[in-house]
Amino acid sequence: MVYNPIVSSKNSVEQFLKDRLPIEEISELAEKKKVPIHKHSIWYYMGGIAGILLGIQIVTGILLMVYYVPEINAAHASILKINSQVTFGWFIRSLHSWSANAMILVVIVHLFSTYFMKAYRKPREITWFSGLALLGLCLAFGFTGYLLPWDDVSFFATKIGLDIASKVPLIGDFLSHALRGGDAVSQNTISRFFMIHVAVLPAILLVAMGVHLLMVQFHGISEPDFFKKLPDTKKTYEKFFPQFFYKDILVWILAVNVLIILTMLSPWGIGPEADPFAAAPIGIKPEWYFLAPFQFLKMIPPMVGPIEGELAGIGVISLVALAMIFIPFYDTGESKTRSSIATAFGAAILIGAVVLTLMGALS
Amino acid sequence: MNYPLWVVPALGGTWVIGIISIIHVFISHFAVGGGIFLAVAENLAYKKQDDRMYDFLKRHSRFFVLLTTVAGAVTGVGIWFSVSLVSPDGLASLIQSFTLAWAEEYLFFVAEIATAIAYYYTWDKITQKQHLLLANLYAIFSVFTLVIINGILTFMLTPSRWLETHNWLDGVFNATYWPSLAVRLLIMLAIAGMYALVTSSRIEEPKFRVFMVRYCAKWLLPVFFLGPVCTVWFLTQVPQSTLATIFSGIQSSGVGNFSILARALYTSLVLSGTILLFAFFGPYLNPKGFTFRIAILFMACGLAATGTTEWMREMLRKPYVIYSYIYSNGIHKDQIASLQQKGFLSEGVWAHALTQNNADDLKKGETIFRYQCMSCHTENGYRSMRKLLGGRDEDAICNFLAVLRETDKAKNNYAGIMPPLAVTEPELKSLAKYLATLNKGQTDTASRLTKPEHMIVQKP
Repeated sequence: MVYNPIVSSKNSVEQFLKDRLPIEEISELAEKKKVPIHKHSIWYYMGGIAGILLGIQIVTGILLMVYYVPEINAAHASILKINSQVTFGWFIRSLHSWSANAMILVVIVHLFSTYFMKAYRKPREITWFSGLALLGLCLAFGFTGYLLPWDDVSFFATKIGLDIASKVPLIGDFLSHALRGGDAVSQNTISRFFMIHVAVLPAILLVAMGVHLLMVQFHGISEPDFFKKLPDTKKTYEKFFPQFFYKDILVWILAVNVLIILTMLSPWGIGPEADPFAAAPIGIKPEWYFLAPFQFLKMIPPMVGPIEGELAGIGVISLVALAMIFIPFYDTGESKTRSSIATAFGAAILIGAVVLTLMGALS
Repeated sequence: MNYPLWVVPALGGTWVIGIISIIHVFISHFAVGGGIFLAVAENLAYKKQDDRMYDFLKRHSRFFVLLTTVAGAVTGVGIWFSVSLVSPDGLASLIQSFTLAWAEEYLFFVAEIATAIAYYYTWDKITQKQHLLLANLYAIFSVFTLVIINGILTFMLTPSRWLETHNWLDGVFNATYWPSLAVRLLIMLAIAGMYALVTSSRIEEPKFRVFMVRYCAKWLLPVFFLGPVCTVWFLTQVPQSTLATIFSGIQSSGVGNFSILARALYTSLVLSGTILLFAFFGPYLNPKGFTFRIAILFMACGLAATGTTEWMREMLRKPYVIYSYIYSNGIHKDQIASLQQKGFLSEGVWAHALTQNNADDLKKGETIFRYQCMSCHTENGYRSMRKLLGGRDEDAICNFLAVLRETDKAKNNYAGIMPPLAVTEPELKSLAKYLATLNKGQTDTASRLTKPEHMIVQKP
């Protein structure tokens, strides 16, 4: 037999890893997982896209930290420096901002596709909760990151956002005060937001993400009702690894491309430095993902009966959020009526959010 | 300046040409690459006597012939029509310099269309050998259309010896002719492969589908191995001052150290890298899972890469239509001094006709704006003058225009990016007066302009 050094060294590396890591168990687990193929299979890609966008967020975020200074007199200047002097600085920053927005959008799409495919039902309740937590974390990332460039729009948007948060009964005052680090948006706020953005939220995210992925692995990919009802002979599956995974890679590559094209065509700018003593810019609005609740609160009259309008609005939003969280316990799949009501509720929320966002954007 | 001009509000005339041209580039690249693909694949089918492959080629050629003959011809005529309206002076130069080349191009185009139609309608009607001959002929004719048009396209960026001899063959076989021909052929083969992947993804028989998907993916290999080499070869032949503008000029993004050209370059590189990765993870590693939808997205990536690269090539020769000879606004380089002395409105045939009857300053200014600025700018749309002027008043605009009038780079930062303003002193004032009406109502931005963030943004 002829000695082949390449094959031989490959085998010894394989053996080295096999002796030390549960490679076989992992590959068995990966190969066991299968993806149902049906007309709605496209939605199965959303989680993966969100994951790749998160990866971009982490890498670009770390790179931005090299030059960003979380100090009230230097924050804006450091972003200007990143944009104009650091080679590829504008690219990294724009990529970070675009992928943040894209990630939130994809997570929302993922949430609703999961919702309408009833993937929250038993035994996937924990997957659903962890998914919602991840969406909440994404929004928190967006809110805290938005202030960091310290330009006039980000300053006033944060100020208004925290003012709204302070209306939440019981914890609102404490929460907004703690986040602000005082009565006004100031150096304390930048420091806190920075720390939350780069340390606290990522740590929580890792845990939530771990739980989410573990649950997906435990329970496998969910099958929508119409697919479950098919006779076994008509059900088609694809192995997650490697077939679906290869397709996942293609979708990731495309997603990254769309992101890069957006970055190239429309790099993220920066407004004038925040001036806490100036008047808020006319028509200031939050980022698109907060527009729906913002517009809803704007449309509520100052008083709803004996309750303050904003408070009533926050109450309604909180109830809707709670209903979304606990939907797995209402629609367990045993009652057709409940299933239809849950679908109608989800559709109403989705349509309402889209309409309110559009109204907010156009107003 | 010698012909009537079509003014396109908001979008600008150049984008009308640009949009039609990019579609035409897609179709023409597809036609040439696809022609080669059909011929090579039919040779293989003939050699193997593979009926499945013959069936595939029949289906594949249906849409191909329809698209290349109809859309190719429509967009081709569209380019001529739009260019003659938007940039008549530049077009006149190209027609006069290359009359014979255009005629040859037309002949090959007619031959290409005729063989394409014959090729499609003779499936199963003539012998396989005769049909193969038609396929080969179609490929040859389509390549020859490229051989000629490539000469004229590259001439615009690198006129080379033609500037001295004015011999059309010197113009056609210019410095970038061969590298550009190589790059284009490679791109055409890749596009042909990508389109064939779309049709292959619809083959029902699994084994043959896997074979065809892998076969089509191989058409992307030449561009990845030879593309970078040929691109470097091309770039070494391009005037080095144009390369400098990639990284320093025409900043219109509102960001600092990257010009729009540099961003286009990186987009093109990223998209090209994507296609390579895509081809590896898609058709090569997982041919069974390469679905129609994914194939369409893949093709979209390829077309986006081609479109971006073409746009970049067009931008490289700015501010010229023919590099170092005629500017994008149709003014010859050697006319500048004379126009600055004698007056643009008195020298330009049509410009003169428009303003001879007691036109007031505003009318004169507007005419100059249309002829000298609107080949790149619009009043309030793409590269908006209103936006670029900011809060400058008439005096400030006058001072700014005086800078643009200079041909010396030391005195004019925009020399090399914009054509020098070819006007006399009174004409300059008329233009300033007109421009001042465009930004009327904007507040004084003098203070705004001194803020660092705006100093980065405001560079036309």
